[in-house]
Amino acid sequence: MHRFPKLLGGGLLLAFAAHAQTPAADQNALIQQLLHRIDQLESRVTELESARASRPPAAAAISQTSPAQVPPPPAPATHDHGTPIVEAATTTYPNLKLSGFGDINYTASDRPGTHAGFNEGQFILHFSSALSSKVTYFGELSLTARTDAGSGTPAAPGFNPEVERTIIRYDQSDHLKISFGRYHTPVSYWNTQFHHGSWLQTTASRPEMIQFGGSFIPVHFVGALAEGSFAAGGLNLNYNLGLGNGRSSVLSRSGDFGDINNNKAWLATVFIKPDKLYGLQVGGTVYRDKIDATGRPQAQEWIESAHIVWAKENPEFIAEFFNINHAYPGTGLVTNNQSWYAQVGYRLPMAQSWKPYYRYEYIHTPRADAIFSGLNLGLSSSTLGMRWDFSSYAAFKLEYRYQERPGLPNTNVAWAQTSFTF
Amino acid sequence: MKLMDRPALISHKRRNGGAGAPARSAGNRAGACPPQYRQISRLVLLFFILMGLASAAPVAIVVSNDVPVDDLSFAEIRKVFLGERQFWSPKLRVVLLMRAPVAPERDVVLRDIYQMSESQFRQYWISKVFRADVSSGPKIVYSTEMANDLVTAIPGAVAFVDAAQIPKGLKVIRIDGKLPGDKSYPLR
Repeated sequence: MHRFPKLLGGGLLLAFAAHAQTPAADQNALIQQLLHRIDQLESRVTELESARASRPPAAAAISQTSPAQVPPPPAPATHDHGTPIVEAATTTYPNLKLSGFGDINYTASDRPGTHAGFNEGQFILHFSSALSSKVTYFGELSLTARTDAGSGTPAAPGFNPEVERTIIRYDQSDHLKISFGRYHTPVSYWNTQFHHGSWLQTTASRPEMIQFGGSFIPVHFVGALAEGSFAAGGLNLNYNLGLGNGRSSVLSRSGDFGDINNNKAWLATVFIKPDKLYGLQVGGTVYRDKIDATGRPQAQEWIESAHIVWAKENPEFIAEFFNINHAYPGTGLVTNNQSWYAQVGYRLPMAQSWKPYYRYEYIHTPRADAIFSGLNLGLSSSTLGMRWDFSSYAAFKLEYRYQERPGLPNTNVAWAQTSFTF
Repeated sequence: MKLMDRPALISHKRRNGGAGAPARSAGNRAGACPPQYRQISRLVLLFFILMGLASAAPVAIVVSNDVPVDDLSFAEIRKVFLGERQFWSPKLRVVLLMRAPVAPERDVVLRDIYQMSESQFRQYWISKVFRADVSSGPKIVYSTEMANDLVTAIPGAVAFVDAAQIPKGLKVIRIDGKLPGDKSYPLR
């Protein structure tokens, strides 16, 4: 019924325009014509409403959104939605849904030894399936182009497949959800918010301290997780409690095949999302592990992190801080490695598909730290870019980066990326 | 009100105005719009007023009768629609129904509850599924009738519909103690 006033408005305005050229004596005739036209429009609206009402019964078939599939509206479509999934009102189990992410990049840098050119980002498949009303499975599989992923000696370039996440979860209630599997460690907001979906993040890439394959924080976590939320007087307190294998013999890898020691890693995360400040999230994590990495001394690792996020787009703001404490048994040596980043973006109000952004990131590792020694993690970097959402499900990002690393020449990097979900 | 009544109303107003209004000077009359334009202008003005009233029609939040909730704060409604509250009770999961794009009720919900554009809304749910917060996004319904039928048929279902088209038997959730039609009801 709300469409009726718009139709009526169009009719009235057209009639008004026509009337401006009509002699005064014809006004009554014109009003009659106008009213006749309104009657026609009313009839048309009734006709359309009847046609809509005569569709198949609602309980017989409904559509359900999936990550990249939003069904078309009944009116002529003006957007690029995918095909709807038609299913019965009564949900059947399991109900596997598949979606994906991808990105294609072009980079050019003045770093010695690098070449400008295209490169494939990650090809990501995401699986989700409700196994019952309370049990759900999630999986994330990546295919990543690498110089050494192929066959032969030395290894030829190829694609490296990886099970990034595989999680089975039981939802007891909003207060308690228990899961087992391989996660992105909830020690970082970014790590648990954007995963491998380049399209989801504003920028072309993740901050350096949370890079996949990086060593600064343990990006993956194999084990069990309990999570939930409480209203907490409008603060909306959320928590994660995890127990798992921790880092493996290679710092950047999780203990997928099993633990390398009898010391389990554990973590606790809390964050709030106050009702009165919709969009704000503030929280922190503590993570404890014992490191037994090949070629490095044993160490007890404490990670403390904090984040503050304004999860809107006018502006968007994300900032995280990490302190990684390593204590070396028998030596009394304790080191603190610190890093942080702050990112701001702004969806332009007059050009909604454009979003400029800036990020500064910083990593400091003391020379005395034997765990990160030789990895050259230190960094001071600025990223300035523009995101253009040229479709509802695809974006183009253009970035300039300036990076300073201790002992290395400063570098300038230009990065273009198109990222999408499908 | 049928639009056929409007010319009489306007004519009546014009006659009253003509009788009660101070007499205008000849110069003013010469500079004023011709009467036919004034009449059409009033008609157009009336139309826009009515259109404004129509667009401010309240949107009701309806749930299936098995939902053990009658009154929610606006913040709690937001959590339900954001998928942050996923259970009405430990045994009853929230099943969110969303009108398809172009429905005026959807515009109200996106503007007031989500505070998102269509693109942001889509990205929100894609992200939520990808984060493993939920296994799927809201179920899409194409009409008020379909929403009403599904709320009746699916345990735990919640939908938003035009408050003027709620059939008997559906439970309407109070928002901060207010029902659609009450003053300061937030969804309109």
